[in-house]
Amino acid sequence: MKNLNSLLVGIFLAVAFPFGALVISSQVQLGSLGRAPAEEGGPLFPSREPGLAIQGRAVYVSLGCVSCHTQQVRPAGQGSDLARGYGVRPSVARDYVQQKQVLLGDRRLGPDLANYGARAKDLDAVHVAIQHNGQFAFLYAGAKHEIPSERALALAAYLQSLRQDYSSPEAKLKQ
Amino acid sequence: MTQENRSGRPQGRPPEGDSRLSRTEVQLRGPFLLFFVSAVVWLLAASVLGVIAALQQGSLAAGPFRGCEILTYGHVAAAQHNLFVYGWGFNAFFALNLWLLSQLGRFELRNGWLATLGGAAWNLALTYGVFQIFAGQQTGFGLLEFPREVGPVLAVAFLLAGFWPIVAFARRPTGHTFASQWFVVAASFAFPLTYLLAQLLILWQPASGVVQAIAHSWFVSNLLLLWFGSSALAAVYYFLPKVLGRTISGYYLAPVAFWSFLLFAGWTGPAALLGAPVPLWIQSVGVVAGAMLIIPVIITAINFHGTLSTEGGWSRAWNDTTLRFVSFGAIAFTVFGVLNAIFAFRGYNAVVRFTSFAAGQEQLLTYAFATMVLFGAAYFVLPRLTGSLWPSAKLVHVHFWATALGAVASIVALLIGGWENGKQLADASVSFQQAAKTGATWNYALSVSAVLLLVGHVAFALNAFGMILKSSAPASAGRHD
Repeated sequence: MKNLNSLLVGIFLAVAFPFGALVISSQVQLGSLGRAPAEEGGPLFPSREPGLAIQGRAVYVSLGCVSCHTQQVRPAGQGSDLARGYGVRPSVARDYVQQKQVLLGDRRLGPDLANYGARAKDLDAVHVAIQHNGQFAFLYAGAKHEIPSERALALAAYLQSLRQDYSSPEAKLKQ
Repeated sequence: MTQENRSGRPQGRPPEGDSRLSRTEVQLRGPFLLFFVSAVVWLLAASVLGVIAALQQGSLAAGPFRGCEILTYGHVAAAQHNLFVYGWGFNAFFALNLWLLSQLGRFELRNGWLATLGGAAWNLALTYGVFQIFAGQQTGFGLLEFPREVGPVLAVAFLLAGFWPIVAFARRPTGHTFASQWFVVAASFAFPLTYLLAQLLILWQPASGVVQAIAHSWFVSNLLLLWFGSSALAAVYYFLPKVLGRTISGYYLAPVAFWSFLLFAGWTGPAALLGAPVPLWIQSVGVVAGAMLIIPVIITAINFHGTLSTEGGWSRAWNDTTLRFVSFGAIAFTVFGVLNAIFAFRGYNAVVRFTSFAAGQEQLLTYAFATMVLFGAAYFVLPRLTGSLWPSAKLVHVHFWATALGAVASIVALLIGGWENGKQLADASVSFQQAAKTGATWNYALSVSAVLLLVGHVAFALNAFGMILKSSAPASAGRHD
């Protein structure tokens, strides 16, 4: 350890080796993952995101929603995600292949949103949820904050687009 | 490491420094003070944001700045986290690592303006990044929230400001090396590599799908363990024997601690992805690495606590300001390592996942360990560099007690609050709102501890800035001891 070069080689390997094994190899394993049909000849899932939903994701990121909301449903046996109704099946890597930014999140100050689009009753309910009892009233105009701004509309479209309720080759839905 | 020892100095003990302000110290005074002062300013800013975030976290709807877009929790929490890590953690360790390796390698910083330039660039990029977070331009990846154009600037600034320890190591006149030097070289070399690779794969050429999350977990674990952990371990290895005037117990084990720490630290990231939609083998690697990290933790515990346990070391540590902080940090690191190993396992991890528990573990590492060690180091280094004494002993006491109590309270609140919250959430019959309601007490404790930390930091800043201003007042800042 007197020799700087051997020290630096050791440190380099300590960074590069895990990087190669964890990140590069998972890119090799998952990089070519694409959309898949739920049944033979059926439509491909996950569906393409509507343009408004893509704008809505930008709003979601910009407000830092990921500080409080996750987007991942854990398998049975790890937490109560399924029993709580966050999803009908665990999330799998394929669910995220359409997303430019994957916002798995690591903190639940609020409920999980991976499957929010499937469980939200209607658009009005989504807007009520976005307001968080007035915290996010700035996204709405009008005396009672009843008129959604463009950003609120985009965010609502994004939240409604979040669904993992289709059958995936890795996680089949029980019939 | 060598058994032969030209100066006849015992192993496991840093070389004796000159009691006068040495030439090496005169030269690094400028960059050191720049890093240190900016670090403390960012620490204060982060603590103010920390109080706001703690109040908001308790109840989003009733917290302060309700309905204010700029100060919404998602902005405040991200800005606080980044300011604490990149503002305080990096600037402070730039200063300390530079000083440490200059001392250990008798290094004379010749082109100090490069370091100053790097420090200026670092802080400007940071300021820009934080403003962008408040303006709504964040990326959504923890600790990489700054808009992506900030990344390259920070990387270049790091090379200018944070690479000097490696130069100092290369130019050292003696063949002998000391544990602190290895750890600092590791931190200074591993971070820029990690940062560039993570920037590339997450923000510039995003990897596909969940691979982003894997790269992110790898980045965060490297940042926390290899920058904060490694740098702070270096400082403990230096200050314990230095101030106590004795050798590190079981020093012959230190190389094992170093290499095993490096070997396992880089693999621990995916332990933060248990249950996530990533390949199972990756999660298992994280679990194994997290558990194996106990090896360097045990060795450092033998080194640190062994040294402190001989010849009344603990009571001497208690009566010395530097050592009081540093030993607090050394204990915190051991606790961190044990918790980290236990909660890497699936059964426990599944309970505390998505709760405040992970934040508690991070607080244990970056605050109770690294920050407390940094404070201790400041009490040792600043009087030497400025040539004056700390203006107020009372403020030192306020600083220690407020930060120590604040750290313990916040960590207990985050860990136990997280555990309780997780237990309730694991039971699907308890609604989300109910679980949040029972966590209200812990949130209250969290707010109180955030205020305590702020008080401690203000006391520290007043004392330190008073000292620096006093020393720079006369034209020639000589030492009067």
